Amino acid sequence: MSRSLPTGVVVSAFVRSLAIQGSWNYRTMLGSGFAFALLPGLRHLYGGASDEIRVPVERHLEHFNAHPYLAGVALGAVLRLEADGADPEMVRRLKLAIRGPLGSLGDALIWATVLPGVALAALTLAWLGAPAWVVVTVFLVLYNAVHVVLRIWGFRAGMRAGREVGRVLAGADLAGWTRRIEPVVVLLLGALVGAVVGGAGGLVEAGAPWLALTAVAFLVGLFGGHRTWRPAAVLTVVAIGAVTLIGGLT
Amino acid sequence: MDILRLSALGGLLGLDGTAVGQFMVSRPLVAGVLTGWMSGDVGVGLAIGMLLELYLLVSVPSGGARFPEAATATVVAVACAAPFEGAGAVVLAVAVGLVWGQVGGASVDAGRHLNDRFVPEPGDAGDPAARVTRVHLVAILADFLRGATVTATGIVSGRFVVRSFVDRWPLDGSASMALLLIGGAVSAGILLNDLGGFRRRKVWFTAGLALGIVGSRFL
Amino acid sequence: MAIVLYRVDERLIHGQVVIGWGHELRPEAYLLVDDELAESEWEQELYRLGAGAVPVDFASVEEARRRLGEWREDARRSILLTRDIRTMRRLGQDRLLAGASVNLGGIHHGPGRTEVLRYLHLTEEDREDLRSLTEEGAEIAARDLPDAPRVPLSTLLKD
Repeated sequence: MSRSLPTGVVVSAFVRSLAIQGSWNYRTMLGSGFAFALLPGLRHLYGGASDEIRVPVERHLEHFNAHPYLAGVALGAVLRLEADGADPEMVRRLKLAIRGPLGSLGDALIWATVLPGVALAALTLAWLGAPAWVVVTVFLVLYNAVHVVLRIWGFRAGMRAGREVGRVLAGADLAGWTRRIEPVVVLLLGALVGAVVGGAGGLVEAGAPWLALTAVAFLVGLFGGHRTWRPAAVLTVVAIGAVTLIGGLT
Repeated sequence: MDILRLSALGGLLGLDGTAVGQFMVSRPLVAGVLTGWMSGDVGVGLAIGMLLELYLLVSVPSGGARFPEAATATVVAVACAAPFEGAGAVVLAVAVGLVWGQVGGASVDAGRHLNDRFVPEPGDAGDPAARVTRVHLVAILADFLRGATVTATGIVSGRFVVRSFVDRWPLDGSASMALLLIGGAVSAGILLNDLGGFRRRKVWFTAGLALGIVGSRFL
Repeated sequence: MAIVLYRVDERLIHGQVVIGWGHELRPEAYLLVDDELAESEWEQELYRLGAGAVPVDFASVEEARRRLGEWREDARRSILLTRDIRTMRRLGQDRLLAGASVNLGGIHHGPGRTEVLRYLHLTEEDREDLRSLTEEGAEIAARDLPDAPRVPLSTLLKD
């Protein structure tokens, strides 16, 4: 049994997928959000009455997790399989198998690479004196070009490939894209550091002691990694408090 | 009432952080400029947005990890700096933003634990289709109210702090910026570590550095 | 011994394994022991995606029991994963896992399961299987990530 889904149902599922993290929770993570996004499709396939739809909805309330931009890959594939009348156990196994890669591929590509890259580009522009609206426009347009394309591509890839979506994901080589973009992000990071050190109102103008302190802080982050973030933030706040107190006394 | 409007902004941008869209209007750079525009000082909005963006460069809404909430912290910081004059206003507001980011992050975590108690699971009584829609939409509304409340309380307490201490700030603009950049430099270092470390990336990093220095001299 | 970790984790290859344990142990292969997975090519494709550049071998329990010696003598460092405790018990039958440390990584809550640790929910059969594995010489402890505390089986099964 294979049934086609009306455009309205497909569009509705996609739009709902934008809010798939709306009821994020530690028990089922995106489980309830996944069922919420799938609901228009399930209503169309199984009928709207509560006793008809109860079992299919319950199947999709289970634990699910993914990067939000790639969750649509799973959603599309599951919609396809539900429309094809696939075995529920197989659908469940697809969701179990795909959540790991959709999380790790998306985290590496988006959170660890594209987002910092675009933010660095916008920060460098801002530091060089670009007007605020230019900075914000560049950031939002560049970032969301990647974001929106990825969402639409993923959802459609899932809808088309169904169970075989793993092959499509492997072919798209998201990990390869991450590796290729990473050096560009490093270049942008270097550019921002260069602009902040050498530019007008930069650290060179502030004086050698400030420059030295900043260099030390950079090395602490470089060799200490993420565990240095919180102490650094706490120290910053404490330092600001201390300078304020000293300033108040003199 | 500007606090009411700014709280609504904090609530909306907070939604973008996790629950709805994630177009990254919740990032400090965007949230800062928007808040600055609403408070009549885009320049301060951009300056604080830049600094907090730098600090939060390595803090992203990944999976179940706990992270400082960028959107509400930025709205709070800009709203606290805008009414006051002098270099101290920006510095103190950034400190308020860093502290309030933790408060926001804790409130996100609490909201997720609250959702634990309401999300339907297989085998629950009642009509699961109706319940999943209701719980999902209420959770989104609750997250908006959470963000707005965090923003409002942050603005009220943050403005009190800035008002009390802004006149005591002893450093000039250039030194104030340098002080804030020390903390930001830690994030830049962490990012380079994440991207493979200096040894593996020295060519790209040095090339960028040269480009940045030369570019900043000519532009 | 080239199998550097035996782990039960219902998610098999995922962030905790690839990032958490992967950075610590630097595996050169993942060995996924699961009867259904060994037969299912489309699922294998998905699990391979999560492992990045590290190759993944799939084997049924029977095949794994035959190849265990070969894997242990292999120069490649590998992480062996099963999705449930029953599979690990079947793999270890007749003291095949005697002396090995078996890591309990993640089994989340579900019907008939009670919480033992935040990331570990066991059924009565699971407990039975774990006792039997211990009697056959395996050393069992729970630990989701390498820097988390190691909780030995005796503590886990204390009611």
